[in-house]
Amino acid sequence: MVKQLYHVPPKRRRFIRRKHSVNRPPTPDAAEDQGKEPTLQEIINIKLIESGEKERLMELLRERLIDCGWKDEMKALCRAYIKKKGRNNVTVDDLVHLITPKGRASVPDSVKAELLQRIRTFLMSAAL
Amino acid sequence: MSVPNEDTTQLSSHFLGDLLDSIIVDVASECHRIAKLGLDPNLDEEEEEMRLSAQARARVADPSNSGETNNKYVVDIFGQTHPSVASEIFECMNCGRSIAAGRFAPHLEKCMGKGRKARLKVTRSSTAAQNRYSRGSPVSTYSPYSNSTTTNRLPNGTPGVVGEEYSNGTYPEP
Repeated sequence: MVKQLYHVPPKRRRFIRRKHSVNRPPTPDAAEDQGKEPTLQEIINIKLIESGEKERLMELLRERLIDCGWKDEMKALCRAYIKKKGRNNVTVDDLVHLITPKGRASVPDSVKAELLQRIRTFLMSAAL
Repeated sequence: MSVPNEDTTQLSSHFLGDLLDSIIVDVASECHRIAKLGLDPNLDEEEEEMRLSAQARARVADPSNSGETNNKYVVDIFGQTHPSVASEIFECMNCGRSIAAGRFAPHLEKCMGKGRKARLKVTRSSTAAQNRYSRGSPVSTYSPYSNSTTTNRLPNGTPGVVGEEYSNGTYPEP
């Protein structure tokens, strides 16, 4: 249940009564601290993209993951799942949910360290 | 704006997670695409089994390992089958007998003098249509080729006489 600061009366259209949507997102007036100010994360994200560093980092990560066999592992998981379920019953969403936990956990430490180092370097330079 | 140290680590992890998520989505959509387009030959279990059984069947039907025994049942690329022994009948140009095509080569061997019996033979006039070689013994005057008393050599170098031969191996003696 969303906490609201002001009670917002339900709209009435003709004679149809609409049920309150309990999941209705808060209107901007009732928003909490998310406001219109971009977070630090968002600022840095924009900087990453604009400078082209995000693209470079993505390519580097892709290359490292292929080299260490991570991509092949994930593809094998996908194929096993598809074989079990039948190839016409599988959606991209299924596969993403299948791979995400295992994928995040099985990145080699060296790859993680390398990427984190590069990101940190960028953050340092971007923050100045 | 300076970034405090603890936040740096956390932020870096956040961005790494972000990058990783994008890559995971890429991998998933690539696998999905390959599966849906049927580009992976190993994907379908049933297809795999059908392929294996088709391979086994091809191996069984392969003529190279069944040899000559089963040739009647082998089908060539036009869908025709051939009997293992050719059955058309020819007339031997040497002795004039009707010979089955499949038996022609062995017949010619004996007929034209490769065999021991043929070499020992003397030409006969009664049934032989042509006599090309002679050995000086009395020869038929019916033969269309000129006969001389000189010995003509066969291509393999041995002097020989062609004559008729019965298929059971006996031949008329002069």
